[in-house]
Amino acid sequence: MPLNAALEGKVYPDATFTVDEQRVALFREAVGEAGQIVPPTFATAAEFAVFPLIVGDAELGLDFTRVVHAEQAYEWRRPFRSGETLTARSRIASIRQKAGNGFLTIETELLDEDGELVVLARATMIERAA
Amino acid sequence: MPQTTVRFEDLHVGDDVPSASRVVTRQDVKRYADASGDQNPLHQDEHFARAVGFPGIIAHGMFTMGHLATSLTDWLGAPSRLKRLAVQFRAPVFMGETIVAEGRVRALDPEARTAVVDVWVRVERDGTTEYPIRKSEALVAFAES
Repeated sequence: MPLNAALEGKVYPDATFTVDEQRVALFREAVGEAGQIVPPTFATAAEFAVFPLIVGDAELGLDFTRVVHAEQAYEWRRPFRSGETLTARSRIASIRQKAGNGFLTIETELLDEDGELVVLARATMIERAA
Repeated sequence: MPQTTVRFEDLHVGDDVPSASRVVTRQDVKRYADASGDQNPLHQDEHFARAVGFPGIIAHGMFTMGHLATSLTDWLGAPSRLKRLAVQFRAPVFMGETIVAEGRVRALDPEARTAVVDVWVRVERDGTTEYPIRKSEALVAFAES
């Protein structure tokens, strides 16, 4: 079953995500960050606050066992602040089929408590041909 | 924090970003899965990885991108200088392999005090160089000196 292209533009319910210091410490270790900063790609953890909704969206019909990550982009407006709570808001930016493979692009905005954009994330997944 | 960090005035087109190597272990990848929340079994379960056509478990693309971003923030000295990072994942990374993050300054904008940097991550495999991340770029910005 190809991805349901009618879902292009679909916006998923907001998820809240806290920049939890313990989780940041684990993430720093995972990405080899020796300093005390919040690594910029900690944004991935915030994206994963929403991704289960998309992966589990029966309307979309994504077979996660065939998914590989093709592209990822982040635009940071400012660094993360330890302890802050962000809102993660994802939408399906595009759905394409090419040579039996499905291409799914998800854009996620991470907004702070004042509603200001902190990070814009864009993930493209390939659902490989069965 | 690094001892010295790069200044905009010191940058030239063609300059290399310091190369950063890391051996990828199963333990690292498990830690990344727990820290990021990406628990895809492709990165933890040998049987699953083989069932979907890989010879063994592979690192998350984002694990490799995370290493690349660390190499950039180490070079820059501050995460606030990294404005944009856009990557393409083009080859898997297997356990025990050494990933090498590298980059080169492609363009400088003295008025905006920004630089566009070509970035990639390579791995040597069976006598050839593979690029888990290739044709990718970073935008970095330096506040007024």
